[in-house]
Amino acid sequence: MDVAVIGLGAMGRPMAENLLRAGHRVAVFARRPEARRPLAQLGARECLSPADAARGAAVAISVVTGNADVEEVALGSRGVIEGAARGAVFVDMSTIAPAVARRIGDRLAERDIPMLDAPVSGGAVGARAATLSIMVGGDANVLERVRPVFDVLGKTVVHIGPRGAGQVAKACNQMVMVAAIEACAEAARLASASGVDFARVREAMLGGSAGSRVLDVFGGRMAQRDFAAGVEARLHHKDFAILHGEAAASGVPLPVAASVWQQLNALMARGWGGEDTAALLRVLEAAGAATR
Amino acid sequence: MEIGFVGLGLMGRPMALHLAKAGHTLHLWARRPASLEPFRDVHAKAHVSAAEVARHADVVFTMVADAPDVEQVILGPSGVMEGGQSGLTVVDMSTINPDAARRVGVALASRGIAFLDAPVSGGEVGAVNATLTIMVGGDPGAFEKVRPLFEKMGKSATLVGPSGAGQVAKACNQILTGVGVAAVAEAFNFARRSGVDPGRVREALLGGFAYSRILENHGQRMLDRNFKPGFKAWMHQKDMRIVMEEAHRLGLMLPSAAATAQLFNAMVGSGLGEEDSIAVLRLLERMSGAE
Repeated sequence: MDVAVIGLGAMGRPMAENLLRAGHRVAVFARRPEARRPLAQLGARECLSPADAARGAAVAISVVTGNADVEEVALGSRGVIEGAARGAVFVDMSTIAPAVARRIGDRLAERDIPMLDAPVSGGAVGARAATLSIMVGGDANVLERVRPVFDVLGKTVVHIGPRGAGQVAKACNQMVMVAAIEACAEAARLASASGVDFARVREAMLGGSAGSRVLDVFGGRMAQRDFAAGVEARLHHKDFAILHGEAAASGVPLPVAASVWQQLNALMARGWGGEDTAALLRVLEAAGAATR
Repeated sequence: MEIGFVGLGLMGRPMALHLAKAGHTLHLWARRPASLEPFRDVHAKAHVSAAEVARHADVVFTMVADAPDVEQVILGPSGVMEGGQSGLTVVDMSTINPDAARRVGVALASRGIAFLDAPVSGGEVGAVNATLTIMVGGDPGAFEKVRPLFEKMGKSATLVGPSGAGQVAKACNQILTGVGVAAVAEAFNFARRSGVDPGRVREALLGGFAYSRILENHGQRMLDRNFKPGFKAWMHQKDMRIVMEEAHRLGLMLPSAAATAQLFNAMVGSGLGEEDSIAVLRLLERMSGAE
């Protein structure tokens, strides 16, 4: 299949590599030439705009950062909308606001370019290992057309509902995950302030009712004090603005998520946005040493 | 003085009328002609656009709902900036994001038009009685020029700092009133569920360090179960959203405000949005099974 991949960061690059490896014809675009080059060397067609990448593609995938980036890629003057053929599918795998995804989809639909919102969970590790969990919003028949591509990128593909539903699922995912990271951080802080080794606490908890993937992965990083990014905390911070925007628009209280958001704000203020979200532990430590 | 006024809603209408009664000529524009009805008996002239209003005025006031409305009315097509001459002063009294206010100020400055952000506290009652508290950001010269007009609309006008500072002060005001109202509601619910009369608690506390205007006034209305607005919960929700978005942008921790914003979300989502924000008491009662 002819596939375009737009955005070649920590997620997009390994996804494009997996598509090439699976035998698809891949066109790539990223703003920085040094991001495009390595894919070109593996056989991808190097393009100078999203429109150019989308030309001739059956599926055009974007994996970029925020609302404005996706709007530019999809609808900008050199965006997918200018290059994609009628009937080509635009798949946005970035994490953005559901309302923005719906708006972009409406505009593309006017040109007969169906859109799926298909954000992912699993991080850069999942992208490399092709084990991503993909949450899809949009038409089920369109999803079936794209499924061979998704199957190369991830191991779980779930059709959540109509357009925007994938982004709603991702917002739920981020809320549950980061709240769990904060809970781990608080447990780690309490343990060490009580003179107890958190690594041992974690080991014990992993076998019990509090065992979780977050406790395993992020709790492990906290125990080792390894804050080099897995997932850059600034991205989770961005996601929390999205989900709180949704909560305000819907009139839904999210008391725990609101507290977690404030911890993320404090983390950003300390300049730790480039660290792993496990650095939420450092925010708690910044309140000062426990003296009793 | 020739005064333009755009935004003649619950707040804007009485504020503009105070200026007319003080002898100034009003230049008005409103989307709905009905909004101009109350101005038939004062010295006021209707125009076809905000730009036309600006062309005839020395000072233009705007009083609308949110940042997109302010940007539309001032910077949009046929907006204030299009008609405003160099030397005009524009005063936005809406409650909007401080960052958006600064952007409007910068855009107007490029045309030699001065800008003040001047949000108010005191609600509809304050607007009608001309007892508003006005928090101003911008240039001291522009503030001195407008001060006599502020004095017709409110009982105090304070220049807080440069452009955007008025909106920052308003955001602080909303943190204090939002968290304050929630705290009084929690205390009253706590007292009642402990079998103690919240009215007696209020009376005892008014003499101590927990005294506040909110405990006194809002607290009394909670006891009277008078939830008529006042200040509608959905407006407080909007203002708290501004606060939380600004905190996000700055990387700033506001744990108590964040918790309060969630209560206002729940009020709006559960049909309490049109009541006064003191109806947060009803929400707490409902959520703890006591309503």
